[in-house]
Amino acid sequence: MRVLDEIESAIPALRRYARALMRDRDRADDLVQDCLERAVANRHLWRGDGPVQAWLFRILINRYRDLHRRDPAPGHLVAIEDLAVEPVQFGDPESGLALREVRDAMARLPVDQREALLIVALEGKTLEEAAGLLEIPKGTLMSRLARARATLRVLTGRGPGADVLPGPGRERK
Amino acid sequence: MMTEKPALTEAELLTYAAGALPPEEAAAMKARLVDDPAASATLAEWQLQDAAIRDLYGPVAEEPVPDRLTAIIRRAKAGDAAEQARPKQGRFALIAATCAALAFGAGTGWFARDLATPSAGAQTLASNAIRAYETFVVEVAHPVEVSASEAEHLNTWMSKRLGHEIRPPDFAAAGFSLMGGRIVPSAEGAAALYMYEDPQGQRITLYIAPEGASPETAFQFAQQGETQSFYWMDRDLSYAVTGTVPREMLRQIALAAYDQLI
Repeated sequence: MRVLDEIESAIPALRRYARALMRDRDRADDLVQDCLERAVANRHLWRGDGPVQAWLFRILINRYRDLHRRDPAPGHLVAIEDLAVEPVQFGDPESGLALREVRDAMARLPVDQREALLIVALEGKTLEEAAGLLEIPKGTLMSRLARARATLRVLTGRGPGADVLPGPGRERK
Repeated sequence: MMTEKPALTEAELLTYAAGALPPEEAAAMKARLVDDPAASATLAEWQLQDAAIRDLYGPVAEEPVPDRLTAIIRRAKAGDAAEQARPKQGRFALIAATCAALAFGAGTGWFARDLATPSAGAQTLASNAIRAYETFVVEVAHPVEVSASEAEHLNTWMSKRLGHEIRPPDFAAAGFSLMGGRIVPSAEGAAALYMYEDPQGQRITLYIAPEGASPETAFQFAQQGETQSFYWMDRDLSYAVTGTVPREMLRQIALAAYDQLI
């Protein structure tokens, strides 16, 4: 019974992450439903080695990747170099970002970058937790996060000018 | 930026932004940020990004959970309560019956045979198996037509359609449990597709087509994109174990299938 209660209490976070990954409300809830059905069916195999929520997130992420292999969304493989900065969108650096722009920009991120950025920025996971959930090395996670943030910056019209940080592969004058 | 300290790297800044530094290192980082306007600007931008992402999607967690999701938990709790109320004997009898059903086929082993060049028929088999996997593994609502809980119906139906007595093998040792099966087309008529899943939600399929080969073939391997398949043929039937799990794991599962199916 306790596992079921823990599964139930994880539903809001699973829905939030799924919605941010997929945008579409119904498709996101389909993904959560699938994840919950898998988890409930396998609950007797759950060995209690770690938080139930992390197990659920791993199921959700695996199912999301299965779906995505089948139906890669547009925006896949957009290289940052190919993105045009639209000067009209340059905003006041002191103000918040326009939510619609951020939402559209998130949708254009490659899937691996979107998964990584959302698990950290939205779900508040630590880098170690996030790497574990996504089943990638921490270094890979860091480079995906850096690329996601840089791409998002360009796509929201706040692209880097002279203030680019030194880092692997990103050196500029 | 005329400062003697090296500029902050992305990795350092990401670690700091994730709040992953111990307090004294975080304090040192803060001090370095004062002298590094570029890094400070980047950090401020990231914080704006995080705030926007939380504003966009944070409220989803406050929404009432749709009934179709809570219903899954409700049904499971009701099922557990019924299970506890039922005398224990019923469950043991079921497990014993499953063991008996799986016992035939034990005691045989896999004999390494010469690797042959796949025939055209075998290649069709692999490509049909991979296509069937890719079609149904993504299925959310109806991954299988008949679920494993209706084992007897599943076995009768599959055996009848294929014209051969077949039973799904057990992959519990590899952590995969049977979800159920469905009938799919093959070059020679109806084929069976069994789907299995591990606790992490990874899925594999076992495809059985009514197409035999003489002489019987050894294990062969095919790959298409990320999807891999081990397949082989015996006198009456062809088999393919397909998935995106690591190749060695898939091979072990295929061996287990071979041992149990012969």
